[in-house]
Amino acid sequence: MGRYLLRRLLHLGPVLLGVSLIVFLVLHLTPGDPAEVMLGSQATQEDLTRLRAQLGLDRPLHVQYARWIGQVLRGDLGRSLWMKRPVLTEVMERFKATLLLTASALVLSTVGGIALGIGAATRANSLLDRLSTVASLFGASMPVFWLGIVLMVIFSLWLGWLPASGMFAPYGGGGARDLLAHLVLPAVTLAAASVTIVARLTRSAMLDVLGQDYVRTARAKGATEWAVVVRHALKNALIPIVTVVGVQAGYLLGGAVLTETVFAWPGVGTLVVQGILARDVPLVQGSVLVIASTFVLINLAVDVLYACLDPRIRYE
Amino acid sequence: MTCGRRWSAMLLLLLGLAMAPAPLVAQPAGTLVVGLVAEPVNLDPPQVTDLNSNRVSRRIAETLVAYAEDSTQIVPWLAESWTISKDGLWYTFKLRKGIKFQDGTPLDAEAVKFSIERQFNPDNPANKLGKYPFAGYFFGNVKAVEVMDESTVRFVLKEPRASFLAVLAAGAASIVSPTAVRKWGADYALNPVGTGPFRYVSWQRGQQVVLEKNPDYWRGPVKVDRVVYRSIVEDQARLTELLTGALDVIVGVPPDFVAQLEGSPKVTVLKQVGVHVWYLGINNQKKPFDDKRVRQALNYAINKDAIVKDVLKGTGSPSIGPVLPGTWGAEAGLKAYPYDPQRAKKLLAEAGYPNGFSTTMWVPESGSGMQSPVAMATVMQSNLKAVGVNVTLQTMEWGAYLAKLRSKEQELFALSWMAGSEDPDLVMYPLLHSSQWTPNGPNRALYKSERFDDLLTQARHTTDQSKRAQLYREAQRILVEDAPWVFVDHEVQIAATSKRVHGLKLHPSFDLRVETISLSP
Repeated sequence: MGRYLLRRLLHLGPVLLGVSLIVFLVLHLTPGDPAEVMLGSQATQEDLTRLRAQLGLDRPLHVQYARWIGQVLRGDLGRSLWMKRPVLTEVMERFKATLLLTASALVLSTVGGIALGIGAATRANSLLDRLSTVASLFGASMPVFWLGIVLMVIFSLWLGWLPASGMFAPYGGGGARDLLAHLVLPAVTLAAASVTIVARLTRSAMLDVLGQDYVRTARAKGATEWAVVVRHALKNALIPIVTVVGVQAGYLLGGAVLTETVFAWPGVGTLVVQGILARDVPLVQGSVLVIASTFVLINLAVDVLYACLDPRIRYE
Repeated sequence: MTCGRRWSAMLLLLLGLAMAPAPLVAQPAGTLVVGLVAEPVNLDPPQVTDLNSNRVSRRIAETLVAYAEDSTQIVPWLAESWTISKDGLWYTFKLRKGIKFQDGTPLDAEAVKFSIERQFNPDNPANKLGKYPFAGYFFGNVKAVEVMDESTVRFVLKEPRASFLAVLAAGAASIVSPTAVRKWGADYALNPVGTGPFRYVSWQRGQQVVLEKNPDYWRGPVKVDRVVYRSIVEDQARLTELLTGALDVIVGVPPDFVAQLEGSPKVTVLKQVGVHVWYLGINNQKKPFDDKRVRQALNYAINKDAIVKDVLKGTGSPSIGPVLPGTWGAEAGLKAYPYDPQRAKKLLAEAGYPNGFSTTMWVPESGSGMQSPVAMATVMQSNLKAVGVNVTLQTMEWGAYLAKLRSKEQELFALSWMAGSEDPDLVMYPLLHSSQWTPNGPNRALYKSERFDDLLTQARHTTDQSKRAQLYREAQRILVEDAPWVFVDHEVQIAATSKRVHGLKLHPSFDLRVETISLSP
């Protein structure tokens, strides 16, 4: 197991290198450079040339890349061109907010999805089953920003139950209750699409497992329905579910951008979008590296969890 | 049935979480919460000129001269008086006495010299501490800044330019505390210190910037204790926060929301035309647009009133020329091109295009001052089709668009300009003088008229406002006749406030002057 882990960790290097190269190239090959955007439509050629030199943009691409990678290896992600702050500080601050949102959405969609899936599997083809299918399809089909705005209008504007945007109240707030109230709408919006996937998968995995011989045996031996469903069936159905949840975690991390924008959630998604529009090269490159690393680590964790759940899987 | 119970319990828990009403905390009596369209970038005005950064940073640092309350006429501010030499090259300012920066440093001529010089003089120690991308644009004409005595400072220009006073009212000319710049170095942009009515308190990135009242402000302390600027990009979210009372002021209201806001008893809607112009640029050097009749035909073909009424829904005011009507430089007698497709077709036929022609129009998808670019361009496209001009629209992201406009391949292109001041020189010279042809400058229409150039140059060299006005009026008449662009509209700024906000007046320069606000309890 230890060796397996080590091997997987070593994969991190080449993957991140590949990601860094792609991000660098895409940013630099996009029309319009940071100097252009900074100076806007008022710029003269003279100003542009001077600013480009100041920002180091006039050097050949491979030189710029090498310089940047050298910095990264020393743990320095550079300074944001626009905001003047160190990229690493900026990204980590915002990343905490994104992780909170993504984790909440993940918990909601996993718990909600599994619950709905179990309910649907144990009452296959009942009204409940059909209703939950429709509801979850709806949640998955609606665009995230549409769903977010609709929820905002209903719960903030019409009912006044929840705050419309932000992470904390600008004054007098700051407690856990304040945070939770602000978290509800964005987390539910983000979880909406994932719930379907988890629910449908749980339903079919459970149906599959519930039809197995050992379940029949357990029932014949007199085990309670609860013990049958949870201890015997669910544990085995969990394997494909865990894999999907791991993939969902990655999707949620990326999909958080739209939700963050709608709800003004101060996460890394909005930071990256801002950075791209401003062509803030160090900022975008640094943020993408951090996000990519997290994604790889999440996948690793899923694989480890996999091994814990299924003793049949042996690792060299 | 334990499954069912567990399942319902889970559902109830989720529902309970969603329903726990958060007490929507009421604002403390003296706090004003402003909803901005985007987050400020940094708070040192010479280093950024985006509107939202300026709206915040101008409350902290001030300028030698400023715009009057209702217009962009220049009034004394940190300087109490000034003299201009006969040749227009020396501008000598007497500073008010007794003003201090928020960190206690006294305001003196040395501080003025420091603040301005650091932007363009490589020998100034603060020059390396930041990037001043607009130094050339604002201060390229300044030869030197001289300290005459403790409260007298002189600017020596390379060439006479009457709009220099307007430059000194811009955000980039803010006077900052040299002590603070030396103390914070490259981080000064995040810890600004000026002489203004508010001082900087804190900035939670992605969430809010907090300013509080400067109790020692030289004009007397303001009535609001603190201002919190929240950046909310999504329009519906900003609107909802205003309507639920969480925000006191919002700016940048999109056209579609105006009707809803005007109909709501909870908010007051404010409108003010800004020093801005939105135009359809025409490449004056490319066939068939090098023929004046074709350009005039375009002006007759496009229905500007429909654009302003139906697309902009009152967030624009139709434009006849680049200078804002009602200002000192505007020609009141200018005649607009009426919507007349028949006349357009006739002119096209005269020019040799009885069956019209095909062309492309470049449009950005968004951008500072661009209002609703794609919608407006689509209307123009259909207007032009009706007279036989087949337009292919090419939309682009803003950054890519700016890069493309340097290529000189444009035919028709949609663009806008925020002048910052009503001084006609600041809009007509960069955009239409032949020395400013792209890529040297922003004259992307590649317009050239010797008489026009001459008038503008003359107007720069005299500081007599009535003489300049005469010259500019003639220049505008030439522009209307030559039609280098299709002038479409001037943006009307829309802001909405909650009922507890009093005393806010929108300013034509797009600045948001919250210092005049008082809050009812």
